[in-house]
Amino acid sequence: MNLLVGEARGSAAPRALLALEDGTVFAGYAAGAEGETFGEIVFNTSMTGYQEIVTDPSYAGQIVVLTYPQIGNYGVAAAVAQAGQAHLRGLVVRDLCRTPSNWTSEGGLREMLAAAGIVSIEGVDTRALTLDIRDNGAMRAAISTTDLDPEHLVARVSASEPISAHNYVADVSGGVAAVAPEGKAVAHVVAYDCGEKTGIAQGLAREGIDVTAVAWDTPADEALTAVPGGADGVFFSNGPGDPEQVATTAEAARALLGRVPVFGICLGNQILSRAAGATIEKLPFGHHGGNEPVMNLLTGRVEITAQNHNYGLRWDDALGPLVSELSAGETDHHADDLRFWSGRHIAPVAMTRELGRVRLTHVNLNDGTPEGIQFLDVPAFSVQYHPEACPGPHDSSYLFRAFARLLADPKSTDYLAIDFAEGRRF
Amino acid sequence: MPKRTDIKKILVIGSGPIVIGQACEFDYSGTQACRALREEGYEVVLVNSNPATIMTDPTTADRTYVEPITVDAVTRVIEREHPDALLPNMGGQTALNCAVALGEAGVLEREGIEVIGCDLDSIKRGEDRELFAAAVRDIGLEVARSGFAHSLEEAEGVAAELGYPVVIRPSFTLGGAGGGIAHNHAELVRIVSQGLALSPEHEVLVEESIEGWKEIEEEVMRDAAGNGIVICSIENLDPMGVHTGDSITVAPAQTLTDGELQRLRDYSIAILERIGVATGGSNVQFAVNPDNGRVIVIEMNPRVSRSSALASKATGFPIAKAAALLAVGYTLDEITNDITQETPACFEPALDYCVVKVPRFAFEKFKGASDTLTTRMKSVGEAMAIGRTFEEALQKALRSLEQGHAGLLADDKADALADMTEDELAAAVATPTPQRIFQVGEALRRGWAHDQIHYLSGIDPWYIDRMGDIAEAAAYIGRAGLAALDAYHMLAAKQLGFSDVQIAHLTRSSEQVVRALREVLGVRPTVMTVDTCAGEFAAKTSYHYLTYEKEPMRIDAAPLSVEEEQAGAADEKPRVVILSAGPNRIGQGIEFDYCCVHASYALRDMGYESVMVNCNPETVSTDYDTSDRLYFSPLTFEDVMDVVEACEPAGVIVTLGGQTPINLAHRLAEAGVPIMGTQPDAIDLAEDRDRFSSLLDRLEITYPPSSVAETPEEARAVARRIGYPLIVRPSYVLGGRGMAIVYDDSDLKTYMTDAARVSPDHPVYLDSFLEDAIELDVDALCDGDDCYVGAVLEHIEECGIHSGDSACCFPPFSLSDRIVARIRDIARRLALAVDIHGLLNIQFAVKDEQIFVIELNPRASRTVPFSSKATGVPLARMATRIMAGEHIADLRAAGELPPEDAPRTWFAVKEAVMPWSRFPGADVILGPEMRSTGEVMGVGRTFPEAYAKTRLAIDYEMPERGSVFISVCDRDKRAIAPVALALHNLGYDLVATAGTAKTLRSIGLRCRVVHRISEGGDNVLDAMARGEIAFIINTPHGHESRSDGTRVRSEAVNRGATLVTALSGATALVQALASTRGRSLDVYALQDLN
Repeated sequence: MNLLVGEARGSAAPRALLALEDGTVFAGYAAGAEGETFGEIVFNTSMTGYQEIVTDPSYAGQIVVLTYPQIGNYGVAAAVAQAGQAHLRGLVVRDLCRTPSNWTSEGGLREMLAAAGIVSIEGVDTRALTLDIRDNGAMRAAISTTDLDPEHLVARVSASEPISAHNYVADVSGGVAAVAPEGKAVAHVVAYDCGEKTGIAQGLAREGIDVTAVAWDTPADEALTAVPGGADGVFFSNGPGDPEQVATTAEAARALLGRVPVFGICLGNQILSRAAGATIEKLPFGHHGGNEPVMNLLTGRVEITAQNHNYGLRWDDALGPLVSELSAGETDHHADDLRFWSGRHIAPVAMTRELGRVRLTHVNLNDGTPEGIQFLDVPAFSVQYHPEACPGPHDSSYLFRAFARLLADPKSTDYLAIDFAEGRRF
Repeated sequence: MPKRTDIKKILVIGSGPIVIGQACEFDYSGTQACRALREEGYEVVLVNSNPATIMTDPTTADRTYVEPITVDAVTRVIEREHPDALLPNMGGQTALNCAVALGEAGVLEREGIEVIGCDLDSIKRGEDRELFAAAVRDIGLEVARSGFAHSLEEAEGVAAELGYPVVIRPSFTLGGAGGGIAHNHAELVRIVSQGLALSPEHEVLVEESIEGWKEIEEEVMRDAAGNGIVICSIENLDPMGVHTGDSITVAPAQTLTDGELQRLRDYSIAILERIGVATGGSNVQFAVNPDNGRVIVIEMNPRVSRSSALASKATGFPIAKAAALLAVGYTLDEITNDITQETPACFEPALDYCVVKVPRFAFEKFKGASDTLTTRMKSVGEAMAIGRTFEEALQKALRSLEQGHAGLLADDKADALADMTEDELAAAVATPTPQRIFQVGEALRRGWAHDQIHYLSGIDPWYIDRMGDIAEAAAYIGRAGLAALDAYHMLAAKQLGFSDVQIAHLTRSSEQVVRALREVLGVRPTVMTVDTCAGEFAAKTSYHYLTYEKEPMRIDAAPLSVEEEQAGAADEKPRVVILSAGPNRIGQGIEFDYCCVHASYALRDMGYESVMVNCNPETVSTDYDTSDRLYFSPLTFEDVMDVVEACEPAGVIVTLGGQTPINLAHRLAEAGVPIMGTQPDAIDLAEDRDRFSSLLDRLEITYPPSSVAETPEEARAVARRIGYPLIVRPSYVLGGRGMAIVYDDSDLKTYMTDAARVSPDHPVYLDSFLEDAIELDVDALCDGDDCYVGAVLEHIEECGIHSGDSACCFPPFSLSDRIVARIRDIARRLALAVDIHGLLNIQFAVKDEQIFVIELNPRASRTVPFSSKATGVPLARMATRIMAGEHIADLRAAGELPPEDAPRTWFAVKEAVMPWSRFPGADVILGPEMRSTGEVMGVGRTFPEAYAKTRLAIDYEMPERGSVFISVCDRDKRAIAPVALALHNLGYDLVATAGTAKTLRSIGLRCRVVHRISEGGDNVLDAMARGEIAFIINTPHGHESRSDGTRVRSEAVNRGATLVTALSGATALVQALASTRGRSLDVYALQDLN
């Protein structure tokens, strides 16, 4: 809220500071809970969907900057929350709305943040902040309403723990389960809940897939028997933090691949990629937004996708050499810019050491990073982005249908070639 | 897919003249398309009748035909040029209609021309409401319940079923022309009758009213591979019931949840797929019930539109350019995003700012017309503003209108609202009009409950709360006073969009003091960049806006880099700022944008860095690649000074953007800003009547006797001295605003009472009115040493009709070379004496071989684009070179300025386009106050042929047969005889009122006499209703009020009949009819003319 309006109403918020590891300090006003918070700062360019972002468990350990300046306009509603509680460390906005308006609104974002204890700041030049993060990468940061000494706060940020030092998955792994609409169930799968968004469970359920959640560190055999009669498939969810922290989950994945159909999203994609031998890298400032173009190399169609990740696999030699006869005669991975493949509508295939052939299925057109892979010799595939959207466009929701197709016919390899617009009715 | 190589030559059809509902946004889209196609190596052939556009510049396309957009003319072009393909979706409804007609006429098939960018069936499905509704239902979406009617009886039947209110929408009309909301049977009768008459298919849709719902537009693009993206969502602040072109609109949508918006995204892409929009941009409109989220699909436009121009400017995504590239085979992922230059165009722009568009209206020029806004568009222009918050963008947009508002409230205009009673205010808040937004501001200032304002206006509570914040902050500033505004509070005020003028008003200070205080406090604007991606990628283009942010601190680190320097354009070149023309209005439109764009091109060619400042989203000047740097900013003193301080130019050009920058010139110069070209003192010399008259006296140049008066008494004294009739007008206005001809004392008294309100700080001018004189416009260049007279244009209508509404011809068709040479000589002497550096325009009158100077405009005029195209000399570009220091002598020597009296073998005519049909109730006569919205140009070997083309370009067909109704005033009775005789010889039947009939019979012409309307019986209205009257010649009788003439003229407009209200125009029209009788007119490419 603007300072003049706040003072006119006698409700001006306390001052707050946002300090970054690189020495940049923004002065603003408290916008949620008061106090202090430390975390890795990232920006998200979605113009709407703030409540989904605030409740996305993948943001555990992070302070999120929303680049759209006016946030909170349409309030909050329980139905769109992506988890039972907010997991992010802090929220940074330019202007937080105190008087939301929408028929679905059940309350204000500020009240929600305050109740959840999320220390937040408004009145910040979020564009300058975003450009700083873009140019210098995701970094450690703090929001404080108690320590208003800029130098002191920067020093404390520099001494704070990096995000890679902690297993945030363990903090948020809960149990998001869902049941397919009555009469529609076609399969029952187990989900490794590493911080699964509600939207994913709902997306699976819409395709007739019942979901039983298990914790991130559940051993493979235990997971398969978590469903009476045995799970038809396994899903690896999104989740926060450094994928190095979830070696246990990767081990389980390694054990499960080949036994039942497997699908992974986001962290799940990194887990499956690691199991296949791929290297995981940290992107400078990640992908966080609802407008990332991704080409499905099997159909040539571009999906506008919702994304939220700082880590991703590398499509390179570590995964295995290219199978040139399945890669249009090419032997080079073109790992630094996979738009080589999207520009030619070719889905190259690599030969892994232990899990057979893996196909690159999805490429990010903004920066040529890998966005999806498909195992050709075991029934499994994964994507780095979020087909459940929440928030974001729905173009990729066909991936849930693809998983249903794979569950129905684990031998098939063409289950991903779906025209997401075909026969669309509302 | 890569681009197609099987087509080489592409025909692009433009949108024709600027009319309400189809304005210069199509110059923007057409220009982008032509450029993009040529960059890809295609040869582009263009047909567009509008000379004021950049699109019809001879350098924009390879072959430019400024010809009527008729099947006949376009067929002639096709036969001459043999294009391989036709791109019809860049020129609005006009181009689409023409393409459909060409298809139906079999021309496209016969000539083997492929329609690219859209297919004709999908146009039909998108535009035909029945087919569209079926398609929408087919994918499971809802449209409003409705029924079609082809007669009043059918409409009554549908309305009875649906219940009132009902919305009436005629099929296939521009900007919803002829539509409206009927709350009862009487309104139904009126609107349906009008709608049936205007619809080419004689069809209207009667549908359930969803007044008060949220109105949302989605701008969508689709490629041949089936990829669909939404460029922008736009929310209307005014709820359903007001045409979106007349609504204040906001991007991105503010009050919808992500779920709601994503559903609209899915729906709009699916609708494009279902309708069969193969490639290109479309716009889909939705109504959303604010109580339950129910969505109704309103309509779609399967082409680029006004909204896509707005969306392009709002996001930085060049929709028209992309649409052109898609049409030749590319897919979205193959097109590069110009702004980032590393990511593809296949993405959805993310905004980190809020955009507000506010329409500008011209009701003051159409007395008698209701200013209530309806589903029928009436605005003539728009201003857009960018801010970090809605509050800031709204206040910037409102001051961008240049209608005396400094923001939402807290200015002199807002103070005047304090006189309204509570009841009056409540009624005003409940009625959508151009003033409503300010009345809402006043209600908030009075502390009305937000609920009540929402209940009355239907405006979403979110917007009311935001405006309420502005009102609360204003009250706070007023209470606290200037002294209480420390850096934090001043910043907070600027972040809500308060201008210095508003802050000064609230604190009883002055704008200068507030600015000085800000300087001391260090509260200065920050430059931000429109980059399509909310900062995720670095922008390579310099598309900026100014806003206010608190600068971050840097502990033990270098300051963060400044954004505008990151954008790349900051090299060593000297910068020149061009101040453009702001929102389009009657009298100041696209012509000035044309001049500014030319200036920018010229500066770039000369090695300057060109910097454009404008707030009009429809234009080419606000395209991010027209200039090296674009500041999307209001054109007020404060905002312009901020831009100047941000970019430190070597010079500022104020003479190409019409009156807007001219009005700032003095203050800018006083503030130390270097003005390029004609200096403020010379501007003052030309505009100050006393100084200018003395100069004319000194040079012994004749001018109509004139004087100045500040009071009605003074005016009467002047009238005694000079004699009636007099032309009276307020000083410092454009487009003849408030101008009138007065014939006697009582006229004068009425006028002076009204005029005092028009421009309170300035006196009224009274000039002797030269009846029946020939008027001329001269566009010339001057460098201080030499003057080049670019064009002498002869008006067709006589003196007394505003030059902007008058047709004109180059070269002069009735004046001797001797007179023209004398006119050139006077122009030369005057230009040098005033010390013009750049462009000037002089209006002359010639009566009995005597030459009078009427006025000198020390700036580019409305006729510059026409003069440039008619003569082949790019005057605005030359003016810019002169302002940058080049000399006319050198330009002459280099052959860039050809001899002024070079013989011509053809005539070019410019004719004005009037918006009468949009303003039912206003009288339809030409007069000294300008009312036209646009213009067309016709080229021919003879004057009548060229004039005929302008008529065809406006009406699309000539009244070839039938009856002509003639009713002229006494003054014209003698001169009507030869006109009537010619009409008779051309085979028309003549119909006249008793008085005119007597004149006609006296020369032996038979004619049918009809009763005056007041007499009852069979009158002319009945004959018109029977469709007997092909066209109407009706010259007004002095200063008549609600007379027969008014009703006849208004009926002619309703029925779309050709109407001529000046005898000179009638003569030209008859000549034109004779010259076109029974033959199709030749077409000429501009490239072949000069």
